[in-house]
Amino acid sequence: MSGTHSSSSLPAPIARLWESLRERSRSKRALLLMAPLLVFELLLFVAPFLILLRISLTNGSQDLRYAPGTWSLSGYSEVFSTDILLNAITYSIKLGLLATAITVVIATFYAYAIWRSEGLVKSALLFSVVLPLLTTLVIKTYAFMPLLSPNGTLNDVLLSLNLISEPIQFVPGTVGVVVGQVYIVLPYAVLAIYSVLATMDWGIVEAARDLGASRPRSVLEVVVPQAMPGIIVATVISFAWSVGAYAAPGLLGDGQNKARAFALVVEKRLLTLLQWEVATAYAVVMLLLMLVSIVLLTATLNYFGGEFEYA
Amino acid sequence: MSEITLAGLEKRYGDTLAVEDVSVTIDDGELLCLLGPSGSGKSTTLRMLAGLETPTDGEIRIGDEDVTDRPAYERTTATVFQDWALFPHKTVLENVAFGLKMQGMGKDERREQAREMLERVRMGEYADDDPMNLSGGQKQRVALARSLAVNPDVLLLDEPLSNLDKRLSEDMQIELREIHAELEETFVHVTHDQDEAFTLADRIGIMADGTLVQVGEPNEVYENPKNRFIEGFLGDTNFVAGEVERTTADSVHVETELGREVVLPRTAGADGAAALAAGESVALSLRPEVLSIEPADAATFDGEADRTQPVRTDGSTTNAVVGTIENVLYRGSTIRYSVAVEDTSLFVERTVADSGAFDAGDEIRISWDGADVLAFRDDGSRVDL
Repeated sequence: MSGTHSSSSLPAPIARLWESLRERSRSKRALLLMAPLLVFELLLFVAPFLILLRISLTNGSQDLRYAPGTWSLSGYSEVFSTDILLNAITYSIKLGLLATAITVVIATFYAYAIWRSEGLVKSALLFSVVLPLLTTLVIKTYAFMPLLSPNGTLNDVLLSLNLISEPIQFVPGTVGVVVGQVYIVLPYAVLAIYSVLATMDWGIVEAARDLGASRPRSVLEVVVPQAMPGIIVATVISFAWSVGAYAAPGLLGDGQNKARAFALVVEKRLLTLLQWEVATAYAVVMLLLMLVSIVLLTATLNYFGGEFEYA
Repeated sequence: MSEITLAGLEKRYGDTLAVEDVSVTIDDGELLCLLGPSGSGKSTTLRMLAGLETPTDGEIRIGDEDVTDRPAYERTTATVFQDWALFPHKTVLENVAFGLKMQGMGKDERREQAREMLERVRMGEYADDDPMNLSGGQKQRVALARSLAVNPDVLLLDEPLSNLDKRLSEDMQIELREIHAELEETFVHVTHDQDEAFTLADRIGIMADGTLVQVGEPNEVYENPKNRFIEGFLGDTNFVAGEVERTTADSVHVETELGREVVLPRTAGADGAAALAAGESVALSLRPEVLSIEPADAATFDGEADRTQPVRTDGSTTNAVVGTIENVLYRGSTIRYSVAVEDTSLFVERTVADSGAFDAGDEIRISWDGADVLAFRDDGSRVDL
């Protein structure tokens, strides 16, 4: 006899008790099913973060990376006493917004192209998005050096076409950092948007065109609102990754980029200056800022995605 | 004026010819049904009319304008799709107002018009609902309202009733007829359901293998089919194979697999039978509704007498065979008897009021008027008797 059946024939108070017991046993089962994930998260994310948090609350040390066992806010006071933090925030958010905007626009078009293509073209488009993921980040970022440096391929082409008279220094420099960062996050953004588009019925786009919507209009009216969940995911991924960008500013940036990118500020204190309490304090501040900005970003996108005026 | 002319319309996908040389003129205000089995090219033809497919060859004119290469959004057609294709992220009202929004109509005005249109299809109370929460019949009404809202010159319906259950579909057929009569717009309705086509259509265009085989009023295509395909597709029939034995001035005698000679009267002026050579094989169509049955023992049946029976002055001739009922099939309002006759079998239908008159194993006499029989040549073309 099933639980639902027996509970319906019991007196009300007992039925309620039975129901709540059943509810509890179900949540226990859910907990059990989630256990591997919880252990994974605790072990590899929460625990290291707690250690990091603890280090950020210690004193600095002359001969050690930090002074274990001590309690101090000196790391944080160091963080908030210079303008490095403000520069890092401005730089990282600018890079984040710029790279994200470029990535999401390109990714939306690219995902749409994959969705609309068929057969071999579709496979080729999908494959070329996945292919860069098979190479390590460092190698594909390095690849932009011979391409974009003053004596690189792009400058050679521009010079030979007489479009420019002197080589332009894309790399090292901000242009190179943005290009490199977009290249790193683009595949994830494309896949996020494409996965939503793939479930969409082309028929509704035809219906929109049939009712008088031009091609661009039908995409704006019907495809974009439908793809919004994917676009939001793509935006959050791109933004979070670009704000904390490490490889692109580290390899393709000039001195300015390197001094300001958040991850490189942390790296310098961690590996060069050996001030772990300061480095971890930066990391904690950065994490909080990221959390706040992603919540704000998602809320904004949801607002536009949900409250769009349709009729 | 929104008379539609299709001239030599063709659609090719790679090596596959989906639609071949379709030419027809649809009158202003007419309701034309394109009827055919799946894969016959009827939906592709409709999509070319809508502008959702570009013809590989041929011409489409709506009124005086050549719209062959005009995209869907620049045509005065509106389509009701098979799966209705409602916009999932918009409310019912926003769906219906969409076309008017694209025309640049102001928000209040288009909402008001959309509301009126929803009232007309009795969906007014669902204006603010999510279309995905509606039932099939309700979605159907919303899709219809959405297409009608733009006041199209031509309404195209691509099997919109095929996803509904039988009862709902029949109700909608009547409603569509009423809306058509009220709006006096040109409708082109695609369906694979012959009953639907007969109920709705002013004229029926029958498609097979990408070609438009015959266009005509419902009774005309039913009673006067151009070829064997149409005879078999429209309603059920018994095809009986036979061989022409001889042709006389007023009749054609066919030796059939029923083991008997069937006599078909010839109409004065029709010359199709003259070309029939003795020995040519033909297929005869005996529709169940032209077959009468009676108990074989009660009949004054004499086979030899029937064989020599001449064509009467009114052009009729009686043919009859005797067979054994193999099985009885109850089909609701009718009963279908499957009757073994010689090496083949015929099916006959009676209304359910005659229920119990015959049982499996009974011997019965099946008779018919030769004038009600259609004959087809091997290539499928009809013999003009």
